[in-house]
Amino acid sequence: MVFGVVILALVGAMALSAPWLTSFDPAAINPGFRNKTSGAVEMVRADDGTRAEVRHWMGTDSLGRDIGARVIYGARASLVVGVSVAVLAVAIGLAIGLAAGYLRWLDGIVMRVMDGLMAIPAILLAIALVSLSSAGLVAVIVAIVVPEVPRVVRLVRSVVLSVREEPYVEAAISVGTPTLPLLLRHVLPNTLPPLIVQATYICAFAILIEAILSFLGVGIPPEIPTWGNIMAEGRTLFRVYPHNVFYPGIFLALTVLAVNLLGDGMHDTLDPRMRKRI
Amino acid sequence: MLDIRGLTVSLPAGAERELAVTNASLTVAPGEMVCLVGESGSGKSVIAQAVMGLLPTTLRASGGHILLEGEDVLAASEARLRELRCTRMSMIFQEPMTALNPVLRCGEQIDEVLATHTSLSPSERHARIVNIVRNVQLTDPERMIASYPHQLSGGQRQRIMIAMALVLNPRLLIADEPTTALDVTTQAQILALIKTLQREHSTGVLFITHDFGVVAEIADRVAVLRRGEVVEFGPARELLAHPQHDYARMLIAAVPSLTPRHRAVSTAARTVVATKGLAKTYSRSGWWRRRGPDVPAAVDVSLEIRRGETLGIVGESGSGKSTVARCIARLIEPTAGQITLDGVDIATLGASALRPLRRRVQIVFQDPYRSLNPRRTVGEAIIEGPMNYGASREEALAAARRLLELVRLDPGSIDRYPHQFSGGQRQRVCIARALAIEPDLLIADEAVSALDVSVQAQVLELLDEIRGRLDLAMLFITHDLRVAAQVCDRVAVMQHGRIVEAGPIAEVYANPKHEYTRALFAAAPGRRWSF
Repeated sequence: MVFGVVILALVGAMALSAPWLTSFDPAAINPGFRNKTSGAVEMVRADDGTRAEVRHWMGTDSLGRDIGARVIYGARASLVVGVSVAVLAVAIGLAIGLAAGYLRWLDGIVMRVMDGLMAIPAILLAIALVSLSSAGLVAVIVAIVVPEVPRVVRLVRSVVLSVREEPYVEAAISVGTPTLPLLLRHVLPNTLPPLIVQATYICAFAILIEAILSFLGVGIPPEIPTWGNIMAEGRTLFRVYPHNVFYPGIFLALTVLAVNLLGDGMHDTLDPRMRKRI
Repeated sequence: MLDIRGLTVSLPAGAERELAVTNASLTVAPGEMVCLVGESGSGKSVIAQAVMGLLPTTLRASGGHILLEGEDVLAASEARLRELRCTRMSMIFQEPMTALNPVLRCGEQIDEVLATHTSLSPSERHARIVNIVRNVQLTDPERMIASYPHQLSGGQRQRIMIAMALVLNPRLLIADEPTTALDVTTQAQILALIKTLQREHSTGVLFITHDFGVVAEIADRVAVLRRGEVVEFGPARELLAHPQHDYARMLIAAVPSLTPRHRAVSTAARTVVATKGLAKTYSRSGWWRRRGPDVPAAVDVSLEIRRGETLGIVGESGSGKSTVARCIARLIEPTAGQITLDGVDIATLGASALRPLRRRVQIVFQDPYRSLNPRRTVGEAIIEGPMNYGASREEALAAARRLLELVRLDPGSIDRYPHQFSGGQRQRVCIARALAIEPDLLIADEAVSALDVSVQAQVLELLDEIRGRLDLAMLFITHDLRVAAQVCDRVAVMQHGRIVEAGPIAEVYANPKHEYTRALFAAAPGRRWSF
């Protein structure tokens, strides 16, 4: 868990301090210096005629953009998409799932709607949603959240259905606890452990879906770098210039791993039964 | 025939004690029934697993010998153990539903044993199967063989398990609480069956149980186990009548007697709750079509409970006793009839009208492990009710401390979580929670059934004391006639959702009128033995 927090903090700090970490503009195209491998040195002539050497630590892509800068700036979009999709999907799914699981009359209707949503392939639904509005960060987030919500709802509902039969819930009813506090106090905390695991999965998945959408050209516009579209970009030349996919891939894998470690750690700390053993 | 000498099994590091079984020695002779008695966690099942070579990988037999007809089982290879199982030793388990494979027909499961260990032809095997199934007194063997486990009743499943265990005529049968999950009348039949088969085949039986009634019923010799140590081992009659070791004496003294305790009850006391024609039917209608016939769980139940008295409802599983309790606590809505609580009919009240009345009736459930929210401290559990009814947090916490003292728990443990308490302690917390909003009626729904006999005695005593001190009315649901005899003033016997007999407990116990009540008494294990 500590490892997860440290990695996420580093990636977060990197995203925030991107302009200070690199002198390159991630969108600046340099036709004369394309597809260079890591550590390539470029001679730049400044306006006053002096020459300077600049090093592209991670090389450049097929348009001559600095991959290092793109990866660093890309952390912004990827993290924002991953985290906000996970938070939104879980929040919405939790509310709907609690209601559906606890209020039996609502269950049939809500679950049929969710089944309907799940019947449509997630990517297709996302493409349709993005094309309804202009492509942009918000549209992409909404497009990924919508197909994720039914999965969360299903999970929450199934946990609620088993928790609501527990004697401690019945005991709470019989000491006169009204429905809303009952849900928040007794049902909700017991749905969290599986949800946290699911949320970390959604977070990782959202970063990947965003990449797929970018690749298909319906995601975040290519001038905003994301790990997804850097990799999509580099895919065509992967066999010749693997660094183009390699660097964002490393960051993506590390981030997803960190998110998962964090999830596992939270799962354990939130459970008082686990706390005793430590 | 079975000779366990100085068996020691170690627990993994960090467990509550170092050894699961410490230097245990006992013997089983051919044709002998040896009962291994002990409370939960005493290591009874570990001994059985060690004999069968089925110890979980985390447990290790670190000393001693288990000699089965002179051969040390602990030293045997896995291949040799496979040969021994079923041919020389067999085991039957507590829960026949989970011990049988749900996707194989019963006959196929017995056939597997025969196919593995014998070279009989399929037709010979079939004949053996039919024969053994008839032997365990199942009628219509062909139909039983062709059935899946879920199509049979609990008793029938346990008979199939016994048939499977005995089909190769093993010398040793280990029975690990084989009747604990069964109703008392079924239990009596299974015990009789095991006893008969044992005599016929002169099988040695190691019978594991926690129930001294069962011990009195069947045992030749008894071993009493405490925290992994055999504290006493001797002939059953002698041990039951004159236990030598303090622990054995304490256990036997804690077994409730079948003779009701006499207590003066005022019939003039105010009626707290009365039901009239109460009924609950579970309808199995789906969205578009019916999924099955309606299930009447309770039919025409009329009873009344006065202040200061305890009404017992006894019956077997599925008799509807819990349904009645849950209707009165209004955790479920009855389909017909009235429930009068202080003159108000609460049977059909809506949620908001019901809330002020809820505090009058409180319920304590069977399973102490699931009755408390694992994520909230016991203090939070106890103060929830009072705070719902407007008490301040400080008041409620002060009251909770007093209540913990009343149920004889340390008030300082108020900030601890349920998993830090034992089963009996948790049940005390549940009682404290129920008492926190000062109810008039306390419902105990099998509240002591999951507890060990010594803890059970303490909780029963506590319930009785509280009822007396707070002048509560109590509805006591149980399947155990012995427990009912100790706490109830009046008793109602339920079968198939109906009350078949009701009256003062001394009368019902001395002179049961209904046929079913008589059958229940006849089936009570150890009824001829006065504890």
